[in-house]
Amino acid sequence: MTKEEKPAPFTKFPDICVRCATCMAACPVSRVTPRFPGPKQAGPGAQRFRSAAEASVDDWIDLCTGCRICDTVCPAGVPISEMNLLAKAKYLDERGRSFRDWLLVRSDLFGEIAARYSKLVNPLMKKKAVRWLLDALLRIDRRRDLPAYEYPTFRRWFRTRQAPEGGGPVVAYFYGCFTNTNETDVGKAVVEVLEAHGLTVVVPPQRCCGIPRLGVGDLRGARKMGRRNVDSLLRTVRGLDIVFSSTSCGLMLRHEYGPLLHITGAEELAQHLFDICEYLLRLHEVGKPAVTFRSIPIKAAYFAPCHLRSLDMGLPALELLRLVPGLDVSLIEAECCGLGGLYGFKREKFAIAEEIGKDLKEAVARMKPDIILTDCEGCRMQIRHMTGLKVLHPVQLLRDSLERRGTAQQKGLLKRAGQACKSKNVRLVISCVRRVCLFLP
Amino acid sequence: MKRFDLIVIGIGLAGLTAARTAIGMGAKVLIVGRGMGALTLFGNTVDLLGEIPPETDIAEGITRWIAAHPEHPYARTGWEGIESAIAAFRGLFPPPYDFTASGQGNVLLPTGAGTMRPTWLTPVTMAAGAAMTPAETLIVGFRGFKDFQGDTVSLHLKCRGVTLSLPRYGLEGLSAPALARLMDETSFRERVGESIRQQMAGERFIGLPAVLGLREPAAVLKTLESVTGARVFEIPVLPPSIPGTRIFHRFREELIAKGADFRMGHPVSGVMVKDGRCEGINIQNPPLVAEYRADRFILATGRFLGGGLWAEMDRIIEPVFGIPVFQPEERGKWFGERFFDPEAHPIHRAGVVTDADLRPVDAAGRVVLANVRAAGSILAHHQAIEEKSREGIDIATGFLAAKRALAS
Repeated sequence: MTKEEKPAPFTKFPDICVRCATCMAACPVSRVTPRFPGPKQAGPGAQRFRSAAEASVDDWIDLCTGCRICDTVCPAGVPISEMNLLAKAKYLDERGRSFRDWLLVRSDLFGEIAARYSKLVNPLMKKKAVRWLLDALLRIDRRRDLPAYEYPTFRRWFRTRQAPEGGGPVVAYFYGCFTNTNETDVGKAVVEVLEAHGLTVVVPPQRCCGIPRLGVGDLRGARKMGRRNVDSLLRTVRGLDIVFSSTSCGLMLRHEYGPLLHITGAEELAQHLFDICEYLLRLHEVGKPAVTFRSIPIKAAYFAPCHLRSLDMGLPALELLRLVPGLDVSLIEAECCGLGGLYGFKREKFAIAEEIGKDLKEAVARMKPDIILTDCEGCRMQIRHMTGLKVLHPVQLLRDSLERRGTAQQKGLLKRAGQACKSKNVRLVISCVRRVCLFLP
Repeated sequence: MKRFDLIVIGIGLAGLTAARTAIGMGAKVLIVGRGMGALTLFGNTVDLLGEIPPETDIAEGITRWIAAHPEHPYARTGWEGIESAIAAFRGLFPPPYDFTASGQGNVLLPTGAGTMRPTWLTPVTMAAGAAMTPAETLIVGFRGFKDFQGDTVSLHLKCRGVTLSLPRYGLEGLSAPALARLMDETSFRERVGESIRQQMAGERFIGLPAVLGLREPAAVLKTLESVTGARVFEIPVLPPSIPGTRIFHRFREELIAKGADFRMGHPVSGVMVKDGRCEGINIQNPPLVAEYRADRFILATGRFLGGGLWAEMDRIIEPVFGIPVFQPEERGKWFGERFFDPEAHPIHRAGVVTDADLRPVDAAGRVVLANVRAAGSILAHHQAIEEKSREGIDIATGFLAAKRALAS
């Protein structure tokens, strides 16, 4: 075992907690269920009684969603979510993780394949029988909408597209698994907006950031993913800035690889990582807009994801969106969407996720927006599921408001890129399988 | 690296007031909090000076107090300063959830310890507490909610008390935020009101723990009053304070809508000082350190609980700028003989001494940093807990500090 593979020593002292209970005012879980005692008790309270040598007794620790809101409100600087995470890791290490959890955290592996056969997979995932099976066998709640896969993947689109004449400063993009296989338009929007700012975009080799593994307390697995990313990103992008469009991937890369997982090189990497909106805002602040936004006269509601708040960089998306003329944008006053990544997909936690989300749903109902904007894919899924409204990443709206020349021409380009990937044979296979699917309930 | 007109360090009532005042004057403001600040620990009502007896006119009382306490923070603001700052605060809370004074003097409100406590402004959800009489009041607690012991409160207040079982919950531990969230649901509060009505024996007042909703407390109050036919009031309970959370949320909503920038969760880790002026601050979010620059700064980090003052083994320090702290000359003199000494412990008078402009000064009276001002409970020469002046000091000095900072 090399030095960096050793589990992080637990050095944070729970007694810096003064039991003020501010975290209890903010925790989205303990306010909807008395089954979770809340961050004060689950974190530093229970920590005083935890011992590495004794078996874990925290049956409720798995109910922490890992939103990290407790950390952002604690006036004493207690690393509450880290205590919870380490306790959860120990608990699940002892009890073992389900096959479901093993499978769900590997969505990066099957995502590519699912995307390749999205024409087959997507309708299949909507079948009641399939959802019933997933629920019965894997306890993936059948009431939760599963995200559809898209093909070509973002990575493939980026590789095969006709890149514009470059020459501008280079910036790298960490797109994340969900953008790659389920929301490719977010990635396309990032690339288009960066290019509109005169930048040349590169996409370095990358893997899942590993945050789903943290969600199930798999620190070793998360560290493995992290090491691969740090090696690859540092090698290819030394001297470049890297932008991310998923605030959860970004939090993982920037703040968990080093301080929590002790991955060599993580600190250097963190210096180069920027949220896409944070990055664009900086460009505007130093007076390099290079673009003007055209008016989008609609009413938008912006939601600040939990992990964005943990990044502690303010609300750069909201600031950027305020630059779009005509756009009436305001902040949704709610703590958390409730999905908690994979948390809300799990049958035993579905009700908690829904109950947490209710506050956000009601806030949206009061605001009556035309569209909702938020930086996190999990929040977007949950808000679509709850409100039925159109939910986009802020950068997608910014892309749509760019003043530029050949809009129609670019749209045509995207369409061609999409068509180029479908060979005749694949289409044939898909149509056969679709017919078979018709016989399923 | 961002540049602001003003950076407010501290996110309690003083910092939020300073930030809001500055935003109102058109400034570009960053507010930095060590977590969510201390509003969930206090912030139930607005105290100006509880020491003044209820029958005394508050303006007269404070004016006399200022004359007798020339070093007190109120001496910097004067009664006029307090008055205009309080008016601005009230402007942030329009009806139905508004803050009012019930007359010319302090009012006595029941507390979660079953005592009567003087205060100046009360939110609409607590106002009826001032009018209650023991014989006509029913105190209602909830089974499973440990932060409010209805029996103890009713015993001390000499009222009748009941403990209700809540719909949907058993005896498991319920937190105040969980209860407040349930109260925001119309059907839930109607059922609570109905169960209270069944327990009533002609009472005209109902006292409940301060959990009457986070989102629409005035509507919760209205429902409960119409179902029970009695006047309902909230009684402050142990932290986290729901009324304090409401104040925090209202400030945050207003500040974000007006374009203030927030940093929450990570304290200031360093300051850049040059030629007697502060040029910028660092905020550490490991492994990164961000840098923010501004022309002016307001230090509103509170005392020990908020982290504004730090007790080392032998002395008290101010950890952000290292500003000299007025304090007892040695550790042996920090505390009085008895824990509940009616005289405040000397350590409770410790804090930052300022000039008339709220700029911190050293022992010789020289301004330490020309563009830094201090506001709120970090100021020296008050005993906010004993005097019952916490919110008044926060609001009045936060308001003044922002006005003076932007005038410079």
